[in-house]
Amino acid sequence: MTENRPTDRGDRSNRDDRRERGGSRNRRFVSRPKFCQFCSDKKLVIDYKNVELLSRLVNETGKIRPRRQTGTCAKHQREVATAIKNARHIALLPFEGDYWADNN
Amino acid sequence: MHKYELIFILQADLDEAALDAAVENIETLIKNNQGEIAKTDRWGKRKLAYPIRKMNEGYYVLVEFDYEPEAVAALKRTMGFNEHILRYSVIRID
Repeated sequence: MTENRPTDRGDRSNRDDRRERGGSRNRRFVSRPKFCQFCSDKKLVIDYKNVELLSRLVNETGKIRPRRQTGTCAKHQREVATAIKNARHIALLPFEGDYWADNN
Repeated sequence: MHKYELIFILQADLDEAALDAAVENIETLIKNNQGEIAKTDRWGKRKLAYPIRKMNEGYYVLVEFDYEPEAVAALKRTMGFNEHILRYSVIRID
């Protein structure tokens, strides 16, 4: 399972690159989920109506969280992305930010 | 025939009777086009994630039904004409 390797493609942000140049002793390991939650739990269905689940997969600005943060495998990440987009269209999830946090 | 899921958001400021009428209207529309409704689930009033047409609340209705793919476009078009429907979405679920 490629997504479980610590040197996953998505790992390397610019910050990590800089750190690597400084030598591996400086490299800090960020713990991340090792398993795709949808692969390990078959009962967990990705559904655009499940706001509670999907809200955990977007950050506070409303963006879809990357695989490297959530541990979701590529196959399920695609489903998650579609579900989030569907949920946004029917106003179950915000397109950007939490509207109610700023107004009211 | 394929299984579809229809979610639509009605204006929350309508009264009970108008809401019922709107939901029934959609149901009969589906039935008249050889559709078979599996279930209708009214979620009721719900806060929208963002305002639509300056409204902060919506009345959500979920309909699961079997439908001919060719007829879906016409259904969407009719929904678009209904001014009480803020948003709708038809998604194939099989």
